[in-house]
Amino acid sequence: MFHYWNPYFLIVLYVVLGIFLPVASIWVIGPILRPNKPSEAKGSTYESGLEPVGDAHVRYNARYYLFALMFVVFDVETLFLYPWAVAFKKLGMFALTEMLIFIVLLVIGLAYAWRKKVLEWT
Amino acid sequence: MNFVWSWPVIAFYIIALLTLCCGVIMLSVRKVIYMALTIGGVFIGASALYFLLGADFVGVAQILIYAGAITILIMFAIMLTNHEATEPGFKWSPKNIAAAIGSVLLAVVLLLAIRSTAWPTATTSQTALDGGNSNPMAIGLVMFKGYAIPFELVSILLIVALVGAVILAKERKEDE
Repeated sequence: MFHYWNPYFLIVLYVVLGIFLPVASIWVIGPILRPNKPSEAKGSTYESGLEPVGDAHVRYNARYYLFALMFVVFDVETLFLYPWAVAFKKLGMFALTEMLIFIVLLVIGLAYAWRKKVLEWT
Repeated sequence: MNFVWSWPVIAFYIIALLTLCCGVIMLSVRKVIYMALTIGGVFIGASALYFLLGADFVGVAQILIYAGAITILIMFAIMLTNHEATEPGFKWSPKNIAAAIGSVLLAVVLLLAIRSTAWPTATTSQTALDGGNSNPMAIGLVMFKGYAIPFELVSILLIVALVGAVILAKERKEDE
């Protein structure tokens, strides 16, 4: 791994590139390369070839919220997997059992949701 | 206090300025959905501060949970409700003046408390990103050796949240 540089330099480099690349391609290099012939049809909102109706900010179905909640639960699970995976070689079997209990409990939750048919999109 | 203009200090001021800007924009925009967007910016700024402090794992957690999941959850909660209404513009009503005075007093009290507290300073060997003894490694060792029972309790808490969400969704289905 890199040790001869300040590791934060890599983070800063990544952030700078992440800002520079889209800005350069959208506002600097893109306008130089692409032809510019605007028309009314080109400027309208694209909605799968149909005429767009109403505002984009409509009320969503409540079903989406359940998926967001379940995403949070499994996101937290993933977060715990990260230090576990890093420290795994030093921890050994005990940590493996711990993580198995943790995951099995959450799989039971997922199976419950599946069984109750809330994952189905009808 | 002795100020040294090193790179971390400069980075701190840039990140703090951006985070504060996001917070002020959040308070000044009048559409709820834009407020949710700017609070995502505040979360990312906070995670940058955690990285700066050497708390890598907390920074990753902040991005993964708060900037990723919680912001999406707030967005969906807003999109479920009646969010078309925009808030009226700011006026210096007596309530707002009292709130402003209260906020300034709270900030002064907090600043005095922070300045008068003796904080433990981390030595450079304890900070992260020094190769072998990394921050997630240390957290993993502590979490899975010393705090095994609380860790398993977290899974119980998560499964309770999951089952609660399912039950809420079921009740909603019966209403229809």
